[in-house]
Amino acid sequence: MGLDLLVVDDSPVTRKMVRRALSLCGLEVTEVIEAADGAEALEKLGQRHVDLVLADINMPVMNGIELVERMSRDPELCTVPVVIVATPMSQDRVEFVLDKGARAYLAKPFRPEALRDVVVQILGTTGGPNA
Amino acid sequence: MPEPTPALLTDILGQVLQESAFIFAEPDDEPAAWQGPVLTARIAFESTRGGTLRLVTTPAASAEIAANMLGIDPGQEADENGRAAVAELLNVLGGAFLTRYFGTAVPSQLGLPSTELGDPPPPARRRCCATTVRLESGAPVVMELDLEEGR
Repeated sequence: MGLDLLVVDDSPVTRKMVRRALSLCGLEVTEVIEAADGAEALEKLGQRHVDLVLADINMPVMNGIELVERMSRDPELCTVPVVIVATPMSQDRVEFVLDKGARAYLAKPFRPEALRDVVVQILGTTGGPNA
Repeated sequence: MPEPTPALLTDILGQVLQESAFIFAEPDDEPAAWQGPVLTARIAFESTRGGTLRLVTTPAASAEIAANMLGIDPGQEADENGRAAVAELLNVLGGAFLTRYFGTAVPSQLGLPSTELGDPPPPARRRCCATTVRLESGAPVVMELDLEEGR
């Protein structure tokens, strides 16, 4: 059974790039849903389950840090892992984001294999039938 | 801390174009000669010094960047995504500049990128340095840094 993933980024180009990376990286993905900011992501997470969230930090309306904080406080969402996919940032900032509840940080630009590795590390599966 | 140099910007721009869009850009010592409207993207940053990074290119070059970033053929979809592609490219350039120039030990913050299609912009008020590279098509991409005085 493939993975259902939520990609959260205000840039439509980045969302398409992440989709492309997911199609190239060897994961079995059933569905990729998208949100343009943290508020839209919470709305979509309220409607359906996903296996993992890939979220930017720097977004209007609700940024990725607030999204992680809100998910961490929500009993329904606190078990859904969040990977922050963002521009290179200071070590303090990375630690801050991880302290808030994100499971990993992937710096842009990234190779598709790096995305696969971080997803497999967190979920323990590629989503494929033999995983 | 030494002042940033055009060579630093050239290196960052070349690396990010290669890693984000699989484009191998060539540095160009000649200033870009714009003919017609240009796409200008801006992003502000704060670190131990604040400032703005600016990326200027042609609409055609922005479509070329979009096509490469998305792995699609040139055409309508690339044209439609050109502006967003340049904004995202500048976002990644901003992060790369902050960590390369200020390092990862100091807190830094990027703003949100904005884009504007119009006449070529005048040089930034406190322009610190700039670089020009050419894409594989020959189209120019100019990256400019406007940096506050040291505190």
